[in-house]
Amino acid sequence: MPWQNNNGGKDRSPWGQGPQNRGPQPPNIEDLFKKGQDRFRGTFGGGFGGKRGVSIVVAVIFALWLFSGFYRVDSDQQGVVLRFGEWTETTQPGLNYHLPYPIETVLKPRVTRINRVEVGFRSGGNDFTRTAAARDLPEESLMLTGDENIIDIDFTVFWEIKDAGMFLFNIQDPEGSVKAVAESAMREVIGKTPLETALTAGRNDVQQESRRLIQQVLDAYGAGIKVNEVNLQKVDPPHAVIDAFRDVQAARADEESAKNQAEAYANDIIPKARGDAARIVQEAQAYKAQVINDAEGQASRFTAVLKEYRTAKDVTRTRIYLETMEDVFQGMDKVIMDDNATSGVVPYMALPELKKQGGAK
Amino acid sequence: MKAGGIALIVILVAAGIVAFNTFYTVSEAQQALVVQFGDVKTEVREPGLKVKIPFIQNVHVLDKRILDLDIPAEEVIASDQKRLVVDAFARFKIIEPKLFYITVNNEDVARQRLRSLVNANLRQVLGNVQFSAVLSEQRALLMQRIRDAVNTEAQGFGINVVDVRIRRADLPEENSQAIFQRMETERKQEAQQYRAQGAEEAQRIRANAERQRTVLLSEARKQAEILRGEGDAQATKIYADAYGLDADFFEFYRSMEAYRKALGKEDTTVILSPKSEFLRFLSPVN
Repeated sequence: MPWQNNNGGKDRSPWGQGPQNRGPQPPNIEDLFKKGQDRFRGTFGGGFGGKRGVSIVVAVIFALWLFSGFYRVDSDQQGVVLRFGEWTETTQPGLNYHLPYPIETVLKPRVTRINRVEVGFRSGGNDFTRTAAARDLPEESLMLTGDENIIDIDFTVFWEIKDAGMFLFNIQDPEGSVKAVAESAMREVIGKTPLETALTAGRNDVQQESRRLIQQVLDAYGAGIKVNEVNLQKVDPPHAVIDAFRDVQAARADEESAKNQAEAYANDIIPKARGDAARIVQEAQAYKAQVINDAEGQASRFTAVLKEYRTAKDVTRTRIYLETMEDVFQGMDKVIMDDNATSGVVPYMALPELKKQGGAK
Repeated sequence: MKAGGIALIVILVAAGIVAFNTFYTVSEAQQALVVQFGDVKTEVREPGLKVKIPFIQNVHVLDKRILDLDIPAEEVIASDQKRLVVDAFARFKIIEPKLFYITVNNEDVARQRLRSLVNANLRQVLGNVQFSAVLSEQRALLMQRIRDAVNTEAQGFGINVVDVRIRRADLPEENSQAIFQRMETERKQEAQQYRAQGAEEAQRIRANAERQRTVLLSEARKQAEILRGEGDAQATKIYADAYGLDADFFEFYRSMEAYRKALGKEDTTVILSPKSEFLRFLSPVN
């Protein structure tokens, strides 16, 4: 195919890129032909097969050629059949047939497969065995926010082929385009989002908005790609300042805990004060009741005694006097002194001192 | 027979060569030009099996798809003298193969031309706006403007620039450091503010609680004094009412009670005169 050399690029062959499979290579006709000839010679010896032999060989080759048109489309693929490069048919998974090469060829893009593009980092391993150790790419992940701060974002774009034909024939490097557009879209979205929003509440909006934007651009390219999801893996302040950001979080926690401690203090002392207040009031009420009751008791005792006293005044008075004196003097030390003896001298005897001296000896 | 066979093979080979030079395929992703002695005869835009005049006509195949164009990162100065590093990419399509073939001939040359076109327009468009415009809703508009500007010039090459997008528009490294520093000091300030607010709020809560406590207790004490006063008043009245019935007897009676309570301790010594009322009967004189 001499004209393929004229298109300038080394690997710009239309089929050179993209995740599509080329399917089974059609058998090389010349090889088949040679093989057939060799076998023919081996069977009939030295090319003396005659016309019948030749036609058998031709028939076998023709049959093999026809047979090479069978191809299998896997369940996650779609078959795109090209007749002389023109897209004529799309086939479903299973065993299918196309006219053999070079009349028809088949491309088998994986249409149901979800592809992923990582921006800002590269996880190790393949799609199934992803290792946790992702490599960060700061030149991809650091971007400017709307308020001229810098944010560190890692994200993954999940996409699948929406239209096999568009995917294959409309765009040179679909996967590379997804990546480039995703990067550009994310930066555009982040570029109008303030840092604080992007870090906190705006996360979901950023995902939605960038997904929408990527889809819109890819649709404008007619890329035949559907962007399923943009997944923000990491949204952090840049490494250089992350400590300061963490300290803000810590300060917020400190603020809360200071408040909580104060609240705890308040919750401790106010109920206690209420308790104390109640106690004080209760005590006063108790005192009030007590003094009144005491007064009433004593008053009624007095009035009762008074009533009887009135009937026999002198006797009662004397009795009460003597009874009281009896009780009072019973437990006391008593000194009885004549008035005459005391007159002229100091009427004092150091009685307590005497007692003490006596006690000490 | 043998000569006939050789002749047949020669004819077949010749026919094959002619056929090979006559037929060509154009795939879905391609378009082609049939060139006769450097002169473009036909543009082929539909895919399929095509025919040309063998040997005199050549086929020049061009891509029909949207093609990539990466533009290396460039430092651009915005109108407010802020520098930024812009990394852009473009997507283009060959829409007029003939014009394309005549003017730039092949993709490589076209890419070179486009690169310098995009670069120039990028500088021009971004140089006319403030840096902050790149970080705003205007960004999409700016990209459109760049694309349109590139497009008008690229049309001359038979190229349609589908899109020019700014992939990255970052500040140069030293500016980034300044931003980091600013971010850090901002955060420190914020952290300090939170802590101070915490202390403020805590003080307020504590003071409030203490005030409440003081008020509660003093109110309680007030009420207590009122209650005590009421009690005392009532008791006084009761006593007065009762004792007022016979002041003389009250005096005697209450004195007796007081003696009983006040005196009568073991360690009290009392000096009595035999002439006292209590000992009246001790003295024989009487």
